Amino acid sequence: MELRKTHIYDFHVKQGNIVDFGGFAMPVWYQGIKEEHKAVRDGVGIFDTCHMGRTMAVGSGVEKWLNRVITNDVSKLELYGGLYTVMCKPDGGIIDDLIVYKMASDKYYIVYNAGTREKDFTWFKKTAEDYNVSLTDHSDDIAMMAVQGPRAVETVNKVTVDDVSKVPRFSIAKVNIEGNLGYVTRTGYTGEDGFEVYILNAPLNSPKKALTVWNALVDAGAKPCGLGSRDSLRLEAGLNLYGSDIDEDTNPLEAKLRWVVKFKKTGGFIGREAILKARESGLKRTQIGIAITGRGIPRHGYEILDESGRIVLGKVTSGGLAPSLGYGIALGYVPKGYSKVGTPMKIRVRKRLVDAKVVKAHPFYDVSVYGWKRDI
Amino acid sequence: MSEEYVIPDGLYYTVEHEWVKVQEDGTVVVGVTDYAQKSLHDIVYVELPDVGSEAESMGVIGALESVKAVSDMNSPVSGEVLEVNNELLDSPEIINEDSYVKGWIAKIKPSDLQGDLLNLMGAEAYRKHVAEQDH
Repeated sequence: MELRKTHIYDFHVKQGNIVDFGGFAMPVWYQGIKEEHKAVRDGVGIFDTCHMGRTMAVGSGVEKWLNRVITNDVSKLELYGGLYTVMCKPDGGIIDDLIVYKMASDKYYIVYNAGTREKDFTWFKKTAEDYNVSLTDHSDDIAMMAVQGPRAVETVNKVTVDDVSKVPRFSIAKVNIEGNLGYVTRTGYTGEDGFEVYILNAPLNSPKKALTVWNALVDAGAKPCGLGSRDSLRLEAGLNLYGSDIDEDTNPLEAKLRWVVKFKKTGGFIGREAILKARESGLKRTQIGIAITGRGIPRHGYEILDESGRIVLGKVTSGGLAPSLGYGIALGYVPKGYSKVGTPMKIRVRKRLVDAKVVKAHPFYDVSVYGWKRDI
Repeated sequence: MSEEYVIPDGLYYTVEHEWVKVQEDGTVVVGVTDYAQKSLHDIVYVELPDVGSEAESMGVIGALESVKAVSDMNSPVSGEVLEVNNELLDSPEIINEDSYVKGWIAKIKPSDLQGDLLNLMGAEAYRKHVAEQDH
């Protein structure tokens, strides 16, 4: 089957190493994962995220519908505010994680994962049937790219008429980008300060507008970054990857996402009763961060064992070398008694058992050294 | 992206992009090819076989890892591992810099060299193999 292409495909094919990512032809790296990772931690990088899902939900019933579908609470959002959330099946399993932005009292912009685009939109439509909401899938006519790193503000300001430095964390703003209508949101998937930039009326079959903005941002200093560094950056920041760290068999409490689950909001939400019941009967497992203290790199699917190496506790859901830290880190699940920070454990790396311990994972790095909270 | 790969004459090669150099004393040196290191890029971790262990022809003797990927290192020949390149433990990037000389991985005393060589390619055949891989 032919791979789906994004607006930025022409650039990737010339400059990058293309892989099949969930059916999309995407660059895994251009110059090298380590170098691109470092550019985002120290300067500024740009990622093509046109493959992600984008839906506009409009109508007098939109707030009620959204609050029924997602676990977080949009009723307290200010105009142009945004929030991170998950949405769950009736049994509490996570359908996807997503960000919603309030564009007007009757209009919300929803951004979600590439691999779940069709599934999510079908779920939106199914659940919206009884509400006055109209849903439009804009994934192929709004282009999207992420500009990330401590120099993101000055870089995006070179291509926008409006000053983006004033946009608060997790908020959305309407902007003019290189003469095009667009939005910027103060969000990302790297742990760093930065923006996700959206270009409106940019259909996939005429990608010129999107490519012009991409090239302008590259000319302004943003280093093109592929999926490889996107993954190593988000892992260091302790951000979940849907399909690996969270999925339909994970409930949000196990995944340390209690903070996005608002049990007390008016009207409840899909999955609430199942999640409450799971909490009452005791969670079987919990997500932990793992740092390797021996020699080896943890990878997806590797076994987590207790200190003696005799009892298998669970599996690594995401792992790799943390380029900023210089050692292997991972996310995984273990029974609750093993989740305390400092608990020693082993990871089976091929035939060997490698020393590891539980560490704080959200993020893995020191927030005074890396990430958007540090002083620059 | 099309790339040029260094493929020296006089070595034997596997389909999995390992090389073998036969030395005068009948022992062999093994490593990975320029194609292998360029495909992995940024090698950040190397796992070496134990000295004294028995390698099997096309059996796994170690691993190379980039930030994102893990690649098994297979032994092109059967035999006893005599020596390993411990420098790679602290400086895995040596393989990216020089995969044929400084980036050697292990020295092996082969148990059936003539038999194993029948399964390996010469430089010319390996060049064709690599050209096919890239398309």
